Amino acid sequence: MLTPATAESLLQRARRGGADFAELYVERWRRRALRVLDAELEDATSAIEQGVGLRLFFGTDVIYAYTNDLADAALGELVETLVRLRGSGSGSGADGVGSVDERGAGGLDLRRRQASGLHAPSAPFESQSKGWRLERLRELDAGARIDPAVKQVEGRLLEWEQDVLVVNSEGDWVEDRRVRTRCVAGVIASEGDQTQTGYVGPGLSLGLELLELHPPASIGASAAQRALLNLRARPAPAGTMPVVIGNGFGGVIFHEALGHLIETTSVARRASVLCGKLGEQIASPAVTYVDDGTTVHGWGSSEFDDEGMPTERTVLIDKGVLNAYMVDRWGALKTGYRRTGSGRREGYTYAPTSRMRNTFVMPGDVADPADLFAGIEYGLYAKAMGGGQVKPGSGEYNFAVTEGYLIRAGEVAESVRGAMLVGKGPDTIMKVDAVATDLSTEPGMCGSLSGSIPTEVGQPHLRVSEIVVGGEA
Amino acid sequence: MTFETAKDFLLRRARERGLDAEVLATSQRELGLGANDGRVDEITHAQRGGVGVRVVSAGRVGYASSEALDAASLEWMLDEAIENAELQTARGAQLPAGRALGRHDLIGEGLSAAVEAKAAAVLELERGLRADARVDAAAFTRYGESETEAVLGSTRGADGGYRNGYALLLANPIMKQGDSIKQGYDLDLGKEFHALDPNRTAQHILERVGRHLGATALRTGRHRAVFEPHVTADILALLFVSLSGKTVAEGKSRLAQRLGERIASEHVTLVDDPTHPIGLGSRPFDAEGTPARRTVMVERGILRSFLHNSDTARRTDQENTGHAARSYASTLGVSFSNLMLEPGAGVTLDDGVVVTDLMGVHAGANPISGDVSVQGHGLRVEGGESRPVDNFAIAFNLFRLLEQIEAVGDDLTWRPAGSGIVGAVSLQVDALSFAGA
Repeated sequence: MLTPATAESLLQRARRGGADFAELYVERWRRRALRVLDAELEDATSAIEQGVGLRLFFGTDVIYAYTNDLADAALGELVETLVRLRGSGSGSGADGVGSVDERGAGGLDLRRRQASGLHAPSAPFESQSKGWRLERLRELDAGARIDPAVKQVEGRLLEWEQDVLVVNSEGDWVEDRRVRTRCVAGVIASEGDQTQTGYVGPGLSLGLELLELHPPASIGASAAQRALLNLRARPAPAGTMPVVIGNGFGGVIFHEALGHLIETTSVARRASVLCGKLGEQIASPAVTYVDDGTTVHGWGSSEFDDEGMPTERTVLIDKGVLNAYMVDRWGALKTGYRRTGSGRREGYTYAPTSRMRNTFVMPGDVADPADLFAGIEYGLYAKAMGGGQVKPGSGEYNFAVTEGYLIRAGEVAESVRGAMLVGKGPDTIMKVDAVATDLSTEPGMCGSLSGSIPTEVGQPHLRVSEIVVGGEA
Repeated sequence: MTFETAKDFLLRRARERGLDAEVLATSQRELGLGANDGRVDEITHAQRGGVGVRVVSAGRVGYASSEALDAASLEWMLDEAIENAELQTARGAQLPAGRALGRHDLIGEGLSAAVEAKAAAVLELERGLRADARVDAAAFTRYGESETEAVLGSTRGADGGYRNGYALLLANPIMKQGDSIKQGYDLDLGKEFHALDPNRTAQHILERVGRHLGATALRTGRHRAVFEPHVTADILALLFVSLSGKTVAEGKSRLAQRLGERIASEHVTLVDDPTHPIGLGSRPFDAEGTPARRTVMVERGILRSFLHNSDTARRTDQENTGHAARSYASTLGVSFSNLMLEPGAGVTLDDGVVVTDLMGVHAGANPISGDVSVQGHGLRVEGGESRPVDNFAIAFNLFRLLEQIEAVGDDLTWRPAGSGIVGAVSLQVDALSFAGA
């Protein structure tokens, strides 16, 4: 994608212009998406994306530029423009980078590292035709037709192949390849004047074998069941009550209310209520929270992060005590905390920031999830969650319950729809009073300063002693 | 290749293969300047572009795009687009006949100020915010500008281009007073850099965030409510999903069968006008080359029209309103340009809740069913006095809400929302369900 000589010459020009650190991120994507509506192909797209991102540090000041003109002349001009925007030479720079002679020899002693293929697919995209894919999505449609109230079924198959090269003025030359596949079912069910939707969308870092692990017919059936359940559910009640949150995507509560608050993206700017709390008890002792970029084939996994650092498993919270933040290069410079391989970005149009990978609450000590309901006179069972949002500066969050039930006298009772959980993250995590052992994880797309990236959320079933539930009063 | 030569190359290759094709190329230039502690510590300089093709073959349609403009990448994308089309069952798809549309410049010299002046503006915004002792930190304080050029051509004769852009100032400060911490986000945008006023933006953000300090819990109950224009803009973007011809053509809109019927109170008149002089979302023609014109969607509560592109119009047997939307990488869709709720006589509230912000609209609202349950921030008004309230959720059905609108404000405010620009006013609603402590 870029020759070592070109890379070296660009990095060197940046250093001569006063930058303390320079980094090139070169990327090429091939993406395909098929969308089938009621068993017919609605649209299909194929795309090549490619570009270069150039990041310069002057102390902790960051300049970022990107372009998808990869010609040497265009890239050279980009470096010059950045240096000019910064203003004339206030940085230290220049020293520490060797000079390149006319043959491109000398200069940086690049240490070349490549992905080992830990997450590589066993069924690559070339192994099947588009017609085969269309048949699989028709199976998804057929699988969803479990009730006359199912009015519309949408199936989508997304395929991503991303090749990444990171080169920096410290001599790193890192190549990574990420292949991801996701299959999403969306079902609309209606009865009388009621219309409800249900979505299910497994995704992993692998190829078409996703469809063997998650047969399309069962993806369709699960989405249909969710839509039908909401169709026949009563509106959720409103008020403050105990809540049992389901495993798997239920973990989005911690992603929103906790994970985003311990990224250096907000911590280093003092824009998080959990800033400066390392070693402190910030959550209930029942909570151990881990962010793991190494889970084999995990949706949020990669061998290297988008700053060229190998990913790792980071214990963020150990029995309620804040053990580590998620730290990228800039965050490490600002705060002095060790980098955790958490520098991530949607693509070349974004500078990396510290982000989550596969983040989950570890299993607790309640062997039978049914025991979590015992003793709750009246509460909510939030079995499946939709997306949510958080303000790290105040910790305020909200998220939607997509499959909910009332809890009455210690038992799961009738289903309810339209519930919304509202609260402040630091309060909620203190109120987790019991955690089961049935950990599972699910994929999602997380949006933040460096764009929309694949992440997994997860947890076992767990109980929060009280949360504000929004519904119809 | 350049975008022009890539477009000509693709159209020539499509003709050689006996296909109808439309090529859309766009390129975008962006500048971002972030201020922190009295210095510009973040600079972003960007150039991104690509070319997309829509191929129609025997009534079937396929898409592909590329940001690489070498011949091999362009051939790959044309092959993929044809293969994507051939997977479809024939459905009478066709490319609209096009014509020469000219080249238009909607922005002129609006962003041509020196970068130093732009840096000074964002520093002035940051100073303005820091001058308030209640400001504790800021997640970001930023100047941004964007300039887009689009080129469209088709084998059926469409040929045109335009250039547009905007500049904006935005900040996300965190304010503290005693134990109360509030974080808020707002922006001001304009077509010209010189139309921005950092001091005014700072004052307006301080006012919007600072008034929530010291908020107390709102008690669960039903109250009369006023939505401020920011909130109305989110609600209109949500409503638009059901007014898009694409939603109607796919059989998902609850409003599909209600043309000519009352869907909202008489206070509601909703239009989209891509030729509106305020112009932030303006364009001379849409993504298929249909010339722009004003469309009335709801007239004093009566549903008059959906917004359509050529495909959704054909599939629903309705008129094409010229609202095709597409980026080079996306498929043909429908979007509004300058969507406006016509201002009314004004709102009044003696007892109720002013809702100033909604959080989590992307997650807590179902645009198809219209069920909305989201977190809000607001002001509780009692006996003419108001105090901030937080940590509550509001729940309503969008379609019922439209019928409940008692009055419409005269405070027209333009905001980016959804995929375009929304001109919104305050809305007064007779009773709304609030869940709090």
